[in-house]
Parts: sequence; C-alpha cells; structure tokens
Amino acid sequence: MAEWSKIPPNVFSEKGSVPLSLQVEVLKGVSEFFNMSWIREGELNLIEKLSANILKAGPMPKHVAFIMDGNRRYARKRHVERQEGHTQGFDKLAETLRWCLNLSIHEVTVYAFSIENFKRSKDEVDGLMELAKQKFIRLLQEQENLEKHGVCIRVLGDLTLLPLDLQQHIARAVVATRTHNKCFLNVCFAYTSRHEIANAVREMAWGVEQGLIKSSDVSEALLGHCLYSSNSPNPDLLIRTSGEVRLSDFLLWQTSHSCLVFQSVLWPEYSFWNLCDAILQYQLNHRPLQKARDQHREEQALQQHEADRACVADLLQHHGNGKPLDAQRRQEALLNYTASREERVQDFLGALQHKRDSFLTDLTSQAALA
Amino acid sequence: MAIVYEFVWQVLHVLLHIHRTLITWFRIRLRNWNGRLWSRALTALIVPMALSFPNQKNIVPAPGKRVDRRYRWGADGKSLEKLPDHIGLLIAEEEPRYTDIANLVVWCMAVGISYVSVYDNYGVFRRDNSRLMDEILKQQQELLDLEGSKQLCVEFLNNGTDKQDQQVLSCQSVLKVLSPDDGKLRIVQAAQQLCRAVEQRDKTSKDINVTVLDSLLRESKSTPDPDLVLKFGPVESTLGFLPWHIRLTEFILTRLFKTLL
Repeated sequence: MAEWSKIPPNVFSEKGSVPLSLQVEVLKGVSEFFNMSWIREGELNLIEKLSANILKAGPMPKHVAFIMDGNRRYARKRHVERQEGHTQGFDKLAETLRWCLNLSIHEVTVYAFSIENFKRSKDEVDGLMELAKQKFIRLLQEQENLEKHGVCIRVLGDLTLLPLDLQQHIARAVVATRTHNKCFLNVCFAYTSRHEIANAVREMAWGVEQGLIKSSDVSEALLGHCLYSSNSPNPDLLIRTSGEVRLSDFLLWQTSHSCLVFQSVLWPEYSFWNLCDAILQYQLNHRPLQKARDQHREEQALQQHEADRACVADLLQHHGNGKPLDAQRRQEALLNYTASREERVQDFLGALQHKRDSFLTDLTSQAALA
Repeated sequence: MAIVYEFVWQVLHVLLHIHRTLITWFRIRLRNWNGRLWSRALTALIVPMALSFPNQKNIVPAPGKRVDRRYRWGADGKSLEKLPDHIGLLIAEEEPRYTDIANLVVWCMAVGISYVSVYDNYGVFRRDNSRLMDEILKQQQELLDLEGSKQLCVEFLNNGTDKQDQQVLSCQSVLKVLSPDDGKLRIVQAAQQLCRAVEQRDKTSKDINVTVLDSLLRESKSTPDPDLVLKFGPVESTLGFLPWHIRLTEFILTRLFKTLL
C-alpha cells in the first residue's frame, strides 16, 4: 500500500492510453495470479462447471485478449478509494485467468502499459516502473510453480524504453519460462500497435540491409512474423470491459478478423458469466469469421503467387537470352524461385529470433553479473 | 456425458438463433406498423449514441418536404455538440443494400460530416463503385432535391494522389470507397517501398519509425482517421477495416440496417 502513495491520486485517463492505475493492478494481478490458488483445480462450482462443459461442446477460442477497463469508475460507484478499485481489479484478473484455464483457453494477452503513458509526469512513471520491477521479482520467486504448470510468460513491447533494471527482471522471467508450453500469458508492456507494426517493418528493413532478404520478399505473412506477437496465433476473441468501444492501439493488426466483444460491465465486477457470454458471442460468430479468415488467406496466397510470378518474369527478362521460355520451363523457374524465397525468409526469421533471444540473454547475464 | 453436453449446446444455439430471429422480426414489424414514430424512436436511441451525445436529439430522416428535410438535417447537424470528422460505414452483409447505404451516406453529408468511408470485406464496392455512386446521386436528388449536386459534392478517393488533394479542397464532403486492400495490403506496400529505399541505400533501417510509416499510409494530409465506425451485418469484427487508422476509433456494432433507417 505504501507504493500506492507514490502515485498521485489525480491520475486521469487520456483517450488512447491505458489508465496508469489499470496497469498497476494488471501487474499486481499477474504476480498475484501465480501466488494465488489457481493451482487448486475444481474452483468452479457445479453450475459453472456444467456451463463450462456445455460451452466446450462448441468451438472455443484458443487465444483471448483482454482490455481491462473500469476500475476507477467502479471505485466511484462504490464510493471507495481508488486503491480499492484497483485491488478488486487485480483480484479479478487472477480469477479471470483461472477461469480461462478451466475453459481450456491456454493463451491470454493483456494490455499493461502503453507507450503513450510515458508522457505522464516523471514521478508517476517512475512509481509504476518501481512497482513493475517488484512484481517481476516476485514472479521469479514463484519459478517452481511456473514450471509445474508450464506457464510461459512473454512480454510484448519495446523493452528498450524501460529502465535497465526492469528490462533485466523482465528478461529473466521470460528466459526462465521460455520452454514452458502448457499455457501462455502475454503481457503488453511499453506497447502500442503502431509501434509494433513500425518495428516489424524496421526488422524487415534490417533483413534487407543484412542481405538476408530482398525487398520483394516483403509480404503480409512476413510482416506478421516480425511482430512482437509472432510466436502466438492471432487472438480469436478480444474483450473490452467498462463500455468503452475503442481498440486504443491494441493488437490492431492481429485482431482484424477476431471476434470483438464490448461489455459494459466494469472490470472489477467481471463475472464467470460475462466471460461465458463473450465466448457465446464468439461461438455465434465463429462460422462467418472462419469464412472471412479463409477468404483472406486465399487472397493472400493469390497475391503472393502473383508477386512471385512478377519477380520471375522480371528475372527472366534481365538474365534470359531473349528467347521466350516454354510454359514448363517458366513453371519450373517459378517453383525454384518460390522455394528459394521461402528458404531466404526462413533464414531471416531464424536470424531475427536469434537477435531477440540474444537481447534477452544478454540482459540476464548483465543482471547476473550485477 | 460428452454427448449430453453437445446436445445441450446444440439446443442452446438453436434457442439463441430463434431469439435473434424473433427480435429482428419484431423490430421490423413494429417499424412498419407505425413507421415514422418507431423509426424516429429507434434512431433517436441509436444515432445519438453513435455520435456520443448526452442529449437525445431527434435527427431521423423523415418523410416530408425535400427542401425542408435538407434544412432540417443541416440544422440538426449544427445543433449537435460535436460531429465526427470522419465516419466509416462497415458493411459486413452478404448482399449489400445499395439504397439503404446511399441513404445513410447522403444523410451523413447533409448533417455536416466531412468524410464518409464505405467499406465491405469482399471489395465489391471498390471493384464496381458505379452502382453505389449512381444510387447516392439518385438519393441526393430524391431526398434533398439537389440538381446536379450543387451544394453537396461527392469525390471518390480510390488512391491518394496530389490531383485528388486539390479536388478535395473544393468539396464540402468527401466519400471514400474502401476495401481490404486499403488495410493490411497498403501497409505491406508501404513496407516494401521503405525496404526498397533501404536496398538502394537511400535510407537505413533505423530511419523507419511510426511517423515515417504514418505519412506513407495517409491518403492525404488533411484526411483524419475515422472517429466513428458503424458496422452493419451479422459478424462482430472489423473484418480488416484499415487496421492502422482505427487506433482510437469508436465502434458501433449493429446487426441490422433496417432498424437504423
């Protein structure tokens, strides 16, 4: 509670930024989640269990993203201190993560800290950074539990914007849980979707600079693989609480074909039934969304094919001896080109993953030396 | 046991579908029965909410003198506290209703909204925008009695060019017809352009940031990001609508077009 006093009470939410207080309770919730007794199975009561089993008979989302919103409104509504709203908020996060596991939803992404929030006063930001550091340290103390339950933690965002010591703690948590594969928790920290997309483009440009790929290899699929979230499938379901109907620069690329559910319930009042309602919405939208996704994938494949053909035609023009090739030779050239492009791309993605892993490993070894 | 759960799930979904169908039927019946009154009531609920106002003003296109209507809509627009600069209409229906869409576009422009975008995830409007344009011009004449579009000006921005920038300045309202190619594909094209510049050593990878990418993705410097998107159709998703531009956009996801008009 002493930590809360460092953060001025008049923290307000700007449009497009995640409220500072919200991020605080998310971080608390993330660590509380692992301290909590989610490990106890069978926390659902009988009716909840029955409902869960009924829902699971239909298509279930594999990856759910949450924009948790509404703590301060909750506090005002209940005429309590804002701290109480946040406390309830982080309890709710821990509870929701447990419900997700009970519903066999093994990947959850939450929005913790937006790059926009760096514009706040230095005191506020410093206070939050200090709190985050303490939470990640606590998380590491629970390493045994994390291993036992196969929890993999990923932090998505531009970590270089954070203080070095926080970067090191985050790196340790991520590296320690890297090989776990039973459930995945993605925490968006120092994140906005536009920065993520711009970073992906920058990485591809780096690949071009290094001679690993050509500019003609740039495609929608490749851009997707260069995002921070490249190791996760796109969210099937995006839930935002408190009645706000904005995306606030969160996973804009990844949620283009996700089911969007805006719920008016305030986050601290979120219930198992709200989650079931959201999943029901997902199930009702499942077929048309699947159809739209498949259609988009087909168009993507077509565009890639056309791009490859154009490249091959270009190559043949420049390097050929002027004689037009027959259809079979053209087809062969196309297949060869596609195979070599795919190999180039794989090598590039390998190099990119290595660069990212090294960044984290360097941070952990720095932390060990310090 | 699994079979029991599956059976219950099937029953649940059948009930939900029946529930939805009944609500749709009920709304349409009520509307037809007392058309003017109900459509005003319904729209008075939905549209002010869409335009984020606390006061529920009645701003429904109602039958009446065409000239009256134009002035009334214009006055309604002025009396509202705040209008979005850019509204997006996301049509997620299998078979788009051109007349209804045209009505809505004309109404948006009459109320004073500067930019209106129309999007469908099959790219139908983009490929064949003549049908939509004809419908819009027809509705403009019918609803607002404007010969030759004297007051309202509809410009079609399919691809941003300097020439269109000049045309935009002379128009009161601008209509944009969008497709999924304007979303992720545009971002990929911008990425290719930047990578080509890097290949030719005109740029380095470190020069690439949000601002650079944003300037490439803006059709023209004056076009704002969509403030509000109205989605019509049974699917609760953005379906690829301008991912870069919708960072702060408010979404109203409605299933039925008919209840709005």
